[in-house]
Amino acid sequence: MQLLNIEPNQKSRRPLTAVIALMASATLLLAGCGAGSSESAPSASAVELQQGGTLVIGAEQEPDCMDWIASCAGSIWGSYMAQITTTPFVFNVRKNGEDWVPEISGIMASEPEVSAGPPQTVTYKFNPDAVWSDGTPITSADLKYTALQIRDGEDVLDKTGYSAIEDIATPDAQTAVVTFNTVYAGWKTLFSGSYGLLPSHLLEGKDRAALMADGYTWSGGPWVIESWKKGESITLVPNAGYWGDKPKLDKVVFQFTADTAAAFQAFKSGQLDAIYPSPQLDAIDQINTGIPGARVQVDAASGNLEAIWMNNATPLLKSQAVRQALSYSIDRAAIVERVYGPLGVKSPAQSFYPPSLSAFGGQDFSVYSLDLAKVDSLMTGDGWAKGADGIWAKDGNAANLKITTISGNLRRELMEQVIQEQLKTAGFGLTIENAAAADLFGTILPDGTFDLGLWTLVTTFPDPGLSFAFDSNSIPSDANGFSGLNYSRTDVPGLNEILATVDSSIDAAERLKATQDGDKLLADSATSLPLAGVPNVLLTLEKVGGPTSINPAEGPFWNLEQWGLVK
Amino acid sequence: MFAYAFRRLIYSLPVLVIGSFLLFWSVRTAFDPLAKLRQIRDPEVIIRETQRLGLDQGILVQYWRWLSGFVTGDWGVSSRTSGSVKPMIQSALTVTLELLVWGLLFAFIVAVVLGVWSAVRQYSFSDYALTGISYLGLALPAFWFGLILIQFLAVWPQQLFGWDEPLFFFVGLTSAGEEPTFIDTARHMVLPVLTLTVGLVATWSRFTRASMLDALSSDYVRTARAKGVPRRRVVVSHALRNSWGPLVTVVSIDAALLVGGLLVTEQVFSIPGMGRLFLDSLLAGDAFVLLPWMLITGIAVIVLNLVADIAYGLLDPRVRL
Repeated sequence: MQLLNIEPNQKSRRPLTAVIALMASATLLLAGCGAGSSESAPSASAVELQQGGTLVIGAEQEPDCMDWIASCAGSIWGSYMAQITTTPFVFNVRKNGEDWVPEISGIMASEPEVSAGPPQTVTYKFNPDAVWSDGTPITSADLKYTALQIRDGEDVLDKTGYSAIEDIATPDAQTAVVTFNTVYAGWKTLFSGSYGLLPSHLLEGKDRAALMADGYTWSGGPWVIESWKKGESITLVPNAGYWGDKPKLDKVVFQFTADTAAAFQAFKSGQLDAIYPSPQLDAIDQINTGIPGARVQVDAASGNLEAIWMNNATPLLKSQAVRQALSYSIDRAAIVERVYGPLGVKSPAQSFYPPSLSAFGGQDFSVYSLDLAKVDSLMTGDGWAKGADGIWAKDGNAANLKITTISGNLRRELMEQVIQEQLKTAGFGLTIENAAAADLFGTILPDGTFDLGLWTLVTTFPDPGLSFAFDSNSIPSDANGFSGLNYSRTDVPGLNEILATVDSSIDAAERLKATQDGDKLLADSATSLPLAGVPNVLLTLEKVGGPTSINPAEGPFWNLEQWGLVK
Repeated sequence: MFAYAFRRLIYSLPVLVIGSFLLFWSVRTAFDPLAKLRQIRDPEVIIRETQRLGLDQGILVQYWRWLSGFVTGDWGVSSRTSGSVKPMIQSALTVTLELLVWGLLFAFIVAVVLGVWSAVRQYSFSDYALTGISYLGLALPAFWFGLILIQFLAVWPQQLFGWDEPLFFFVGLTSAGEEPTFIDTARHMVLPVLTLTVGLVATWSRFTRASMLDALSSDYVRTARAKGVPRRRVVVSHALRNSWGPLVTVVSIDAALLVGGLLVTEQVFSIPGMGRLFLDSLLAGDAFVLLPWMLITGIAVIVLNLVADIAYGLLDPRVRL
């Protein structure tokens, strides 16, 4: 699993940057939540579409750059708009029954062959019909170029998995053999999810960043980037050389609309044909108010997991009893009902796997529901006593905590206020100290200067690896330049070994058992507390047709070539 | 005049240098230029970038490197976009100035008309009404007024008359995916211009009214009236002309502040100007953009203040430059 930390109105496709995000599998119409139109509007896929036309889609966020490998390309919206639509992936995430699973894409001639080794190898066979937009075949050289750019590059967003590549052999244009220096169970995440293939014949030996950062004219997908007007829009047109099904539309324009209220008004007035808003309170209110002539799709089983993260390294939260007491102090069900109830999410998450990966997790966190008697029992058992102010104290230290998230996220701020009240009732003081995204992910979390935090894990590929977030070796420290992602400073005996099994076992059953064991260990030690899967919402006007749905890994525009205007 | 302008410019230099140092020091203190790079799990990159940018050197050395680069046109590279800062600011400034020129022009004309109207009809019903409306305009937050304008002038009329599209657009400065035309641009400009001008009109009309009242009660106006000069000519050629000076000063100062102060308007109407660039850079902790952004807005304040002084002298011969 490739998980990302995300936050408020910005969305990040990789660890540590901005805020909130994506959606997941089962797409359900918003019947019964007041959206009004979803019941009356015909299904978008059931209508006949015309060939041609232009679609204007509101985009909450503008990518900082389009050099998808570089650290500037962390925007998940950039991935939705221009990466998914123009770069070829080895695996795509597609729906199979009720689940979204990796499936080989059209650039592959067959399923890659894995040899357990040692050393582990994966052999990729390319489809000779797959070509770039200039007609050059997509080959093993492209895979090798991409892998080496990521493995050996300097300003690289995330090298997870690629740093385990020892060698890449390309015996012929259609064959690439990747040899790993360790067993890497998540090999399917490579050249999929976060990074697609890049055209070596255009980029090899050149300054990739300079050629791609402001957009590029090549494509290996159904669309080509026609223009990127900074601050205004990104325009896609069909890739005339695409070997698969050609897009129905002549043009798709992603119009950047930073203000949610204005974006909804623009959608209502027809200036925007579709929007994909973060499930902030104002957006939820707008949806519940009703939008005539619109289809509302809500994906509750998303790939996003919002959690209350505890800093296990602080003097107070080092104690497992205190962490458990906090977990019993918070009425997660009430918070989830208040915030996400209108979108159909009624129950808190009981695992650190998001809804789209629920098969890997358990229900172990279900033990943590509001229980003040257990709080008293755990705290007194740990030597704490309530002071005159009603706050627990021990050895002269009161149980006062600070909570942080990205400032300006009204939904999170509401959550913080509710948690503050709940903890006060249970005998904990809580101060809210929010910060800008750059400060939070650049300084506060790496330095560990927080007690509690609210942020989201986002799935970009259906793989269950969690070591980046909970392996003690990933705790930010001098050793890793404060660049590890285990912000909660989780260090539970036995957990590293379990997470390593998840990362390295290619035995599906063993891997599944390890994910569930890991989840149980996290719950038993209450290192942090999952809150809820963050639902995703897609709104389209009735004139928009096609199989519109939200892919939990690739976003809402994963099949944009099948969208069209209703006849 | 030229000597005065030159002298003022020279005097401004130390202000700019001291101000730019304070800016540099405060931004450098508040933001970690490598914050984003710290997220990519590569300590070697941090070390290399620290040395490349000279972040391990003293603050004065860092400042001098930055200022030298700024003066010679090397404004650095954005940590957010990895793109050159100079074209980013140039593009944003162009957009903001386009909005600002129309906004200032519209606000100036409306404010002068309303101010003169109020002054020549002092204590009349219309004077009281305009005064009340002005206070209302001053009290309206831009983000709220912008959304109200969208609802009342775009969404409701469209729904009421069943139009395919609203009369006035409110996303960007041109329609997405279409070649910009004058009419299309005008339809995009109306609502943001109205939003940014409501406060300006309220302020400037009150200012014009006060200046006009001073002028209308002055001896030279009474003399002109006594000599039989028509009222209209007295108001326009004598009183209004003598009111220009203070008004131009206020307009110039407001214009300078608005170069970087259209954040809310640009955010609501998705306009990629200086305000949005500031907000995006601030949220991303992009010190490489924030520094030249602040210096440019600072320079705008100094230059437009100078313009105001010169204009004041030109409009009022009693002022010796």
